[in-house]
Amino acid sequence: MRVSDRIFGAIVILGSFIYVMAARGISKPFFADPLGPQAFPIGVGIVAAICGLVMVFSPDEEPNWPEMRSFLSILGSTILLITYAYVLKPMGFLVPTAIASAVISYQITPAPIRAVIYGLIISFGLFVLFKFALGLSLFAFPRDFFG
Amino acid sequence: MKYFNMKALSVSVALSVGATSAMAAECIAPANPGGGWDFTCRQIGKILFDIGQVDSPVQVTNMAGGGGGLAFSHVVNERQTDDGLIVAASQATATRLAQDAYGGATADQVRFVGAIGADPGVIVVAADSPFMTLNDMVNAIIADPSSVAFAGGSSAGGFDHLKVLMIMQEAGFTDITDIKYIGVDGGADAVTQTVGDFTQGMTGDMSEVVGFIESGDVRVLAVLAEERVPGFEDIPTAVEQGIDVVAVNWRGLYVPKDISDETFDMWAARLQAVADSDEWKSAMIENGLAPFTKVGDNFQSWVDGVIASTEELSREIGVIQ
Amino acid sequence: MEILQNLQLGFSIALSPWTLMLAVAGCFIGTIVGALPGLGPSNGVAIMIPLTFSLSLDATSSLVLLTSIYYGAMYGGRISSILLNIPGDEPAMMTTLDGYPMAKAGRAADALVISGVASFVGALIATIGLAILAPALSRIAFEFGPGEYFALYLLAFCTLGGVASNNQAKAAFASCLGIAIAMVGLDPNSGTPRLTGGNLHLYDGIDFLVAIVGLFAVSEVFFFIESKGKSGATNVKVGKVRVPWRDIFEVRWVMLRSSILGFICGVLPGAGASLGSFMTYITEKGIAGEKGCFGTGVPKGVAAPEAGNNAAAGGALVPMLTLGVPGSGTTAVLLAVLVTLNVTPGPMLFVEEKEVVWGLIASLLIANFVLLAMNVPMVKVFVKILEVPPAALMPTVTMISMVGIFSLTGSYFDLILVVAFGVLGYVLRKMDIPTVPVILGILLGGKMEKSLRDAMVLSDGSAWGLIYTRPSDPTDLSMIASSLLVAAVLGFIAPMFLRRILRKPQRVAD
Repeated sequence: MRVSDRIFGAIVILGSFIYVMAARGISKPFFADPLGPQAFPIGVGIVAAICGLVMVFSPDEEPNWPEMRSFLSILGSTILLITYAYVLKPMGFLVPTAIASAVISYQITPAPIRAVIYGLIISFGLFVLFKFALGLSLFAFPRDFFG
Repeated sequence: MKYFNMKALSVSVALSVGATSAMAAECIAPANPGGGWDFTCRQIGKILFDIGQVDSPVQVTNMAGGGGGLAFSHVVNERQTDDGLIVAASQATATRLAQDAYGGATADQVRFVGAIGADPGVIVVAADSPFMTLNDMVNAIIADPSSVAFAGGSSAGGFDHLKVLMIMQEAGFTDITDIKYIGVDGGADAVTQTVGDFTQGMTGDMSEVVGFIESGDVRVLAVLAEERVPGFEDIPTAVEQGIDVVAVNWRGLYVPKDISDETFDMWAARLQAVADSDEWKSAMIENGLAPFTKVGDNFQSWVDGVIASTEELSREIGVIQ
Repeated sequence: MEILQNLQLGFSIALSPWTLMLAVAGCFIGTIVGALPGLGPSNGVAIMIPLTFSLSLDATSSLVLLTSIYYGAMYGGRISSILLNIPGDEPAMMTTLDGYPMAKAGRAADALVISGVASFVGALIATIGLAILAPALSRIAFEFGPGEYFALYLLAFCTLGGVASNNQAKAAFASCLGIAIAMVGLDPNSGTPRLTGGNLHLYDGIDFLVAIVGLFAVSEVFFFIESKGKSGATNVKVGKVRVPWRDIFEVRWVMLRSSILGFICGVLPGAGASLGSFMTYITEKGIAGEKGCFGTGVPKGVAAPEAGNNAAAGGALVPMLTLGVPGSGTTAVLLAVLVTLNVTPGPMLFVEEKEVVWGLIASLLIANFVLLAMNVPMVKVFVKILEVPPAALMPTVTMISMVGIFSLTGSYFDLILVVAFGVLGYVLRKMDIPTVPVILGILLGGKMEKSLRDAMVLSDGSAWGLIYTRPSDPTDLSMIASSLLVAAVLGFIAPMFLRRILRKPQRVAD
């Protein structure tokens, strides 16, 4: 079938087109060198588009895409990590880290009790390591937890 | 390096609370440790204490960000009446204010106390260059602007670039946007490009080229100071060669605007005392600075003049609209 | 004699108790990280960078620590190659060809010791080569203007793809992607914001540390989630460790030849370490002929790629330190370290930062001896590492990566970027698009553009300025720029034909 490379190539071409358009929109200062701020990004976009064309017309073997369940696991971890990014500061270190570690552990080996134990150990262990051995300023719990 | 800056900011905010209550003087270096502003704060702070001008050691706070803009807005917005605060400044502060690089902040939002040393600008060529005097070079550019390219450590439109433009303007050359300039990674790289004959001239600070003068790789056509620099008496100034340009990277201080005139005068007197001290004189020699002392109200008007002319020049070449 | 003086300076720095401690700690951590299945030198060093910075060490100390980790990871990488048939990174791939069969035949301990000694010889010769060659090369600094630098960057991008991927279009796309990302932020020449979409977070550009951690570390986690950690199980047992003197004596010339060949490959900008282990294995296989039985588990087949691989890693430091152009994925990561520490690699490094360079070279020499001592008698300790279940290991890697970046930036926006780069890295690797050129692009894209634009300033916008680089003499063709450009074109085209002849062995991981 070799459809993945063709689709990816098409995405690359579309992305390159958008990129070149965005580069053309860079405001050109009155005070500029002969090449200016637009030329190089435009050139890079064009080369990328050519690469995309090659992928469309000369695709490689199909990669081993994950089955639906693995795919959903990866999607889930992505959402989990993005949520982690947002809550790390307001929620403190320990709780989000324990939850995130446990979920990732469970997704690699579905053993719920072990995953929870790993989560707790990783969260606590890393906190001690970061806070006391490396001296990072981390908050264990939400800052207004203690009023 | 934005990441380290944010860390520095949070540290400094914590420190500033302590500093005001303890009545110890604080010097903000608007950059990470190691650079010129950091040097200014640490040296002036140390000497102030050593010669008995202040009772307790001066607390140095590094507040890097926005090329000094973060510290500037911090002072303007939060420390406007702080008697115990001094901030390291240099020509870069003036250039950026002139080019509106501090997000709309203007020079009159603080008070400039004084400068007590300077790194004079230089125009340098390779040892085998055909240009023997500054005027040889200027005349070659007037004859064919594309025949001479300059390398400097600041980006295009920065102070090193402006030095060349000021010289050419003074020499009566009007098409200053035709002058070729590339901004490279620091003065040493600029010298390398010039010695390699990729560019025909290098524009920078005296301290950046001292090592190359000693190794014999370069010749200094002109130093952009009012007088010849001690230790380098054989290098002529631009003024001597009939081109009235003085461009020095001065090192000095500013203080918050809303302090009393008495406090301002107190800081001016303290700074003058540092300038007169032997400790400062030896620190200057160790660090390749030339004497350049302007303290008090006449420094303020001098800075205003520098900013006005930088602004005009920047507008002419299109760095600012 | 200048080298001896410089080395003396270096040792005076490297032999301070503090630096020595950092080197030992780095070697130990590095070996562990390298031995972890699935984590190679690049991802290993990538994870450790943010942590090192949060220790606020000075430039020399950070560099010593991270290069010790780098060298340690190169040593450790062979453990998972031999015992699990999982190479930690591209260069370690060739070691699996004879190492794993040897381990299956019950000679795991012998294979580990032989490869350890070969690594030592390779790295030692490379470090000596680095000490001799790098200062000599640094003198050519005065011959490099903007045009020459542009040609050099182009060469790095063109040759890297030839080794790192099976498809030139994909390798070239990877470079373009990295360079395109590097364009985001304020234009260095005019200060105009470019491609930021008005997002203030992007005005300073995208930090390469964020990209490295995302592309290398987080994407690895996704791979483990997909495979459910099945690749981690070991069934090879390591017996009593004894030094197989006879085997080592037998491979002495193999090690020496491979070290020199590997070093030369490493010095080439771009191609670097992968080429080193590949070329040495192919060469020794050719010399041994049919009777050599390469591929069935012979000591020579372990010694050659390990010596070549480690020598190339040392050789890759030469273009990185002298010209700022890395020769491998891991040196690209180390370049990022230097830049972040405000140490500008390049011609002036050997003049201005003598302490940093020679301290580094001396500590590499020391690290080699430490690693030999650690890896031969203590190898069983590191083998234990392989038993760490992925279900405990990968969450730890994820969290160290995230918190490491957070401790540097304090910004949730960068954490989201890390995750985004993790997803990007997963998709790219699935598509067989190499990630190292992306990193190289982010790292060098801005400089490449700057050198092109500067060359155009000097030539008044004429494209001939790329080869006639000295404006004072328009007839003076730059031999350096033109030969680099020719090499770049050849380096890009040649693999398309060579690939059919030298079919690469099946890639096991990555």
